[in-house]
Amino acid sequence: MSQIQNSNTADTVPMEDDTMAVSVRELTRNFGKFTAVDRVSFSVQKGEIFGFLGANGAGKTTTIRMLCGLLLPTSGQASIAGFNVYTEAEQIKMHIGYMSQRFSLYEDLTVRENIQFYGGVYGLSRKQIKEKTRELLDYLNLWDQANKLTADLPLGWKQRMALSTTLLHDPQIIFLDEPTSGVDPVSRRNFWLLIYKLAARGKTVFVTTHYMDEAEYCNRLSIMRFGKIVEIGPPGELKAKYHARTMQDVFMNIEHREER
Amino acid sequence: MQRILYLIQKEFRQILREPAFLGLIFGAPLIQVLILGFAITTDVKNVPMIMVDQDHSQMSNRLVEAFSNTKSFHFLGQVGTAKEAVHLLDRNKIKLAVVIPPHFERDLKTGRQPRVQLLADGVDGNSAGVALSYANQIALKLQKQWFPRLPHAPGTVKEIHLTGIEARMLYNPSLESVNNIVPGILAVLVMLITSFLTGMTIVREKEIGTLEQLMVTPIRRGELILGKVIPLIIVGLLLFTIAIISAGLVFGLWMKGNILTLYGMSLLFMMTTLGMGIFASTLARNQQQSMFITWFLGIFAILLSGFFIPIENMPRVIQWITYLNPVRYFMIVIREIYLKGTALHYLWKEALEMTVFGGAMLTMATLRFHKRVG
Ligand SMILES: Nc1ncnc2c1ncn2[C@@H]1O[C@H](COP(=O)(O)OP(=O)(O)OP(=O)(O)O)[C@@H](O)[C@H]1O
Ligand SMILES: [Mg+2]
Repeated sequence: MSQIQNSNTADTVPMEDDTMAVSVRELTRNFGKFTAVDRVSFSVQKGEIFGFLGANGAGKTTTIRMLCGLLLPTSGQASIAGFNVYTEAEQIKMHIGYMSQRFSLYEDLTVRENIQFYGGVYGLSRKQIKEKTRELLDYLNLWDQANKLTADLPLGWKQRMALSTTLLHDPQIIFLDEPTSGVDPVSRRNFWLLIYKLAARGKTVFVTTHYMDEAEYCNRLSIMRFGKIVEIGPPGELKAKYHARTMQDVFMNIEHREER
Repeated sequence: MQRILYLIQKEFRQILREPAFLGLIFGAPLIQVLILGFAITTDVKNVPMIMVDQDHSQMSNRLVEAFSNTKSFHFLGQVGTAKEAVHLLDRNKIKLAVVIPPHFERDLKTGRQPRVQLLADGVDGNSAGVALSYANQIALKLQKQWFPRLPHAPGTVKEIHLTGIEARMLYNPSLESVNNIVPGILAVLVMLITSFLTGMTIVREKEIGTLEQLMVTPIRRGELILGKVIPLIIVGLLLFTIAIISAGLVFGLWMKGNILTLYGMSLLFMMTTLGMGIFASTLARNQQQSMFITWFLGIFAILLSGFFIPIENMPRVIQWITYLNPVRYFMIVIREIYLKGTALHYLWKEALEMTVFGGAMLTMATLRFHKRVG
């Protein structure tokens, strides 16, 4: 067991070279006696689409929450956009977008009101909010729905809208926690087109998913099991390593191997 | 600053769109004033009482018997002296004492008018009044039985004189309990609604997941709390106003004092209740839990506020505890302003106490409120 003290970690976070958007070492989170995330280490390069796989309860959300400054790690180190998760949580928040596993918009506000609200909270000026609203409605093709309650949108649209609102402040790194769960295949495809556009603009995308076809779209993947990262690498490499045709096979293989 | 405005705007949009909230804001004060106002001030049964028989004659025995055999009174027995009876009244063991003077029978028979004394606890003025009239009826009934059989000078004994009703509520001399209860209800209403709503609106966002979303924005903790609390203060004052108007229309009771003083005092008081709501939201995982916590704290605070039970009738230790209860001060302030029209400069002590407690509560709650989950 690594017993790194929280208090000393602050000044010992390695300043990685500038290409690293996220760098994590021995990150651990306990809930009481239970270890939800167990000495996890990895780094994500700028502009990368980094996938996070793992069965329910593997520790994906807990990891993301620590990276977003929402949850204090029990031990270990992590820096996001060069900021320390222990001491610089508020700076981190300026540079990241986060779409939580649960729906994060106000269903009792209209599409326009949601954009306006989150824009305001991120400190955009009135003029910027107006511009952003126009831009987003154009982009999402939501003009007809702009004054409808968010609750009445189809789920696929809601999720694309949620993603867009997390981009209002133009963050460098975007954390997406199961953004497409429950969404139909066409909408999922549309959602991933958005992710690709973001990556093309140099954004780092950190995404968790249970869909193996989506896993194939990532530049690099990490597979978590019981709080530990058991495999990490590009989809192609993983498939080669396991002599598998699809990521589905890789995933099943790992789950099987670990069971024995 | 701008962020707070966006938060407030959002909060109002949500409130205005939620029929349940609107019902709560406009319906609750009216209904609460009506129900509590009437419920608390009627029906008198089983009033605990004792008798002091200083005559020990046949007639005085009859009187004791008559009182021990009615449903209105719960006859607890006899004590030797009026002093003991007053002591029991003070300790809230009884609500009524009937004192039969020495030579009661002799005086009655010789045509001198004996004075039976009724000592009543005037705290709940309405029940006290009803209890007194019951006692009078019992006495009159006996008198009618005795009247035709009195050997001397029939007709000279017209009435058993009932005197010495002790009204304990100096500010409620007419013994009208509505006067006392209604301002109390207003205080309780402000308290419950603001603490409930604060806790619930925060925890609701926790449940939905939007709070987590807000926490990853660069918004400051203080901004987030102010953005939650300011709309609720406005709602609280609106609701208070509706309750004041309802009380006026239903009971004909309007405040004697300055309304702005009362609003100012309510604001000071709300610091505590809002703090309580925030505190509950930091402990609760869902709205039910939050409601339970605020309810639990609220009930204690109300019981120890002097709303139902006058503080001077509480055991000494409990009386000390009430000094730590901000509701106690608001209860005093609202009754003073309502019934006596007391001016602000006589209430500065209470204002100070509420500020201190409210400030402490808000600070503590805010410190507990982190921009983190779990
Ligand atoms: N606040 C908490 N208190 C206690 N246990 C928790 C808490 N949050 C998460 N856990 C536990 O930690 C483990 C990992 O949870 P986490 O939500 O990170 O999993 P996940 O990989 O995101 O799963 P899913 O695919 O279902 O979203 C689970 O067993 C969960 O019950
Ligand atoms: Mg999860």
